[in-house]
This record gives sequence, structure tokens and C-alpha cells, in this order.
Amino acid sequence: MQYALLIYEDESVYGPGKSGEATQKIAARHLEFSRDLGASRLGGAGLKATSSATTVRTASGKQTLHDGPFAETKEQLGGLYLIEAPDLDAAIAIAKRVPVSKDGSIEVRPLIVHG
Amino acid sequence: MIGAALDRIFREASGRIVAALAARFRDLATAEDAFSEACTRALEVWPQQEMPRDPAAWLYQVAVRAALDALRRRRTQERFASWLGAEQESAACEQEVDGVIPDERLRLIFICCHPAVAVDSRAALTLRLVCGLSTREIARAFLVSEAAMAQRLSRAKQKIADAGVPFEVPAPDAWPERMAAVLSTLEVAYAKAHEDAAGSGPHAHYAAEMIVLSRTLAELLPADPDVAALAALVRFAEARRPARLEAEGCMVPLAEQNPAQWIRPLIEEGMRHLERAAAFDPDRARVVQARIHAAWCSRASLAEPPPWDIVLGCYDELLALRDDPVVRLNRAVAVAETRGVEAALRELGTLDDELLRDFAPYHAVRADLLRRAGQAEAAGAAYDRAIGLVGTAAERAWLERQRQRLEAPGIKK
Repeated sequence: MQYALLIYEDESVYGPGKSGEATQKIAARHLEFSRDLGASRLGGAGLKATSSATTVRTASGKQTLHDGPFAETKEQLGGLYLIEAPDLDAAIAIAKRVPVSKDGSIEVRPLIVHG
Repeated sequence: MIGAALDRIFREASGRIVAALAARFRDLATAEDAFSEACTRALEVWPQQEMPRDPAAWLYQVAVRAALDALRRRRTQERFASWLGAEQESAACEQEVDGVIPDERLRLIFICCHPAVAVDSRAALTLRLVCGLSTREIARAFLVSEAAMAQRLSRAKQKIADAGVPFEVPAPDAWPERMAAVLSTLEVAYAKAHEDAAGSGPHAHYAAEMIVLSRTLAELLPADPDVAALAALVRFAEARRPARLEAEGCMVPLAEQNPAQWIRPLIEEGMRHLERAAAFDPDRARVVQARIHAAWCSRASLAEPPPWDIVLGCYDELLALRDDPVVRLNRAVAVAETRGVEAALRELGTLDDELLRDFAPYHAVRADLLRRAGQAEAAGAAYDRAIGLVGTAAERAWLERQRQRLEAPGIKK
């Protein structure tokens, strides 16, 4: 079996835009955790704060763009793609092609990339 | 050189310089900080020596150097400098710093009006970065505190940086969607300026900015009918501003405004924009709307009958394009003048009053029609509702005056 571990926590503890000292501390702990996992870690990444999110919403066959994260409660997280794109417009163009069977939302959130 | 004159130079140069800096350094904060540093330098240097022949070029050169310095400082501070940052810097350094400021304002407008930026931030950000309005001025225009506006602007800029909004004019296939966001942003900005008939409020300066901004856009996109129509519309509406208020500060309805008070050169400019828009597509919604304003602005004096027939025809065209309750409301006003008050009231009856419950113009139109139909009691209630909802003083004064006329028997329009 393969599993996704989805991390939910109060992002405000990491400061505005996740730029606070707490971010560096947790990053070091994640690094250590990843080493411990070894081969059982298939992939993973930190996400930038929800303030950087853009949502492509599909309703009755029409797609619209919204500033901000996914906010509905009647829909549930069903999967994820990690993609490489030169900028937000390119990422949105790909997000618009993600299949949803009826209505739904694709949240586009940049990953924290370590230099 | 006095402060006000310097302020004017800074304001006029700011949009173009910030846009050029943003395009070059791909970061709004870098662009803004560098421009404000250049202004600070100018305040120190200019009064001591002769003014540069081209102040904007001087500001741009100083700002580019300031941005490069800031970039270098940041890179040495960062423990792990990313290769992307290095590439950005070398690309920016390779370009010569000459006095020619590339016109990147269109690019900046597209960035500010990106659909990933919160709707209520787009107009504010455009006014800040492209028009060079201060945060305080924008805060007053949007009726929020300066601190709240500062936070809104900084959030929007942060979003643009974090989410990776591209610093490019979008590709042609994305053009319709992106242009729609730009135009609706400018319309929101202009509606704010226009709703205040007195123009003495915080919007006065702001309306002038819309004239400049819509002209800039029309110059940059000469073949876009929506852009030309918007430029026409803003001009027609602003041309009538001197006649919108009578001596006591009460609003004057369009049909009662004295055309002699309208600003003719602005109307002529508007007509030229409209002609261009109509040549591309006479039947587009924005072009039809501009034609309504043009019909009014063609009135030479109060002796000429108001153009209600043309106006009604235009509203019919608009309704055929899209059924919209506000269009239907405006159409009902034209119906009252051409086919009578009863017909207009029947039209109004077909509207969804739940949807227009908190829309002051709906209650004002209804009150007027009911008054003219002799239904004083219902009219009074409608006036009260409109007065309770209306946000500007001149419009309230007019409604209150109409309400009083109701109580004076025997007077009917």
C-alpha cells in the first residue's frame, strides 16, 4: 500500500507568510524525519501559506478563478498532483485540465522550495 | 522648487517608472522601494543644484541603481542564495541604465488586475502602482482606514510575489479572460469616483486619474473596442460633472442638467473614442452603454428634447445581449418618458425586488414613478427606503426634496 500523510495545523504559528523562526525550526525537524523514513518516503513538500493560494472552481461546467484557498466544506480532499510550471498562469492552465467528475475545486498552492 | 511641484513630478513619473522597474526586477516591492528611494534622493539633491532636464529619466536612473544595490545587499544577507535570484540579477545588470524609460504600464496593469488577486484589491493596487495615488488617498476613496488599505495592498503584493504571478502581458489565448478582469477593475474604480455627484469628496482627484488611465490603456491597445468604449464612457460622464450639482448642493437629474455647463472638449474626446469603438464592434455591451451617454452628451441645450427614444433603443439592445436587473431598471426610466408612467410601473413589477432590495436607485426610481402615478403613500414609503440607503449627500438632498414635493398637494411633474 501507499499512503499520503496530509499535514493539518494552524499555519499562523509559523508567522505571516510562514516566514517566522518557527518555520526554520520545523523545517529542520522535517529534514530529520525524512532521513528517518529512508526508502519509505516516496515524496513530499511543505506548502507556502494559504495567502499564496489560488483556486480554480468548476461549477455547472464553468471554471472561475478565486484568490485564496479551497473553502467549501461539502467537498473533500481527494488527491493531489505535484507539478513543475514556470509561473502561476502556467500552473492554472494545468489545474484547469485536472479531471473532476462534476463540480469541484483545484487549489493551486506553491511549494516551499529549498535553495 | 516648492514641495507641491515636486509632488506633481513624482506622481506623474511614478506609474511609468514603477512599471519599468517591476518589469525589469520582477518584484513589486523592489520597484516601489527603489522609486521611493529615488524620490528621497531627489528631495535632497534637486534643491541644492540645478533641476535635471528630464526629471523622470533622472528618477529612473537613480531608482535602477537603488534596486540593484538592494538586490546585492539581499543576496549577501541570504545564506542560501538561489540560482534564480542570481540569474535575475545578472539579467537586470546587463541592461544599460539610460534615460529612456520603457513603457511597461500595460504589463503592470495586467499584474495588478490578475484574477488570482482578490477582487477588492485589484482597483486599489492599480491606483497605487499605475496612477501613483497614495495609500491614504485610496483608503479615503474606498471608505476604509489607511491601516486597512495598507494591509490590503501589502497582502495583494505578497500574493503576487508568493504565488508566482507572471510579470508578462498574457498570451493571446488568455487575453479575453484577462482583459475582462482589467476592464471590470477599472469600472469599479470609476464607479467609486462617479457615484459622488459633488466630486468634492475624496473621489475628485481619482476621477481625473481615470481619465488618464483609460487614455493610457486606449493608447496601448488601440484595436480593443471595450477599451475605447470605456475611455469614451469615462469622458462623457466626467464632462457632465459641472452640471450635476445645483447651488444648494443638491443633485440635478441628467434630463434637467444644463448642457451649456458640460465640458465640451471632454465630450469631443469621448466621441472620438466611441467612433473608434463602434468601428470595431457597434453592438458590444460597453459600446452600447457609451452610445447612451453619447446621446445625452449630444444635447446642445435644455430647449432640445431629451434623447429618450435613442436611450430606450439602446437599453433594448443591452437587454437582448444580457438580461440584467440594473439595465431593466434604467430602461424603465426611459419607458416612463416615452410610453408613460403606467407602462414603466408594469416593467418595474417584473423585476425581482428581493435582488434589488438594498439598491437605492431601485427605490428612487420606484418612488418617482409612484409619485407621478398619484400613489402618494406608496411613493413616500419608497422615498424613505431610498433615503435610508443612499450613500452620498447630493443624492440624499435630491431625494429629500422630492419627498417633500409629495406632501405639497397639486404639484405634479
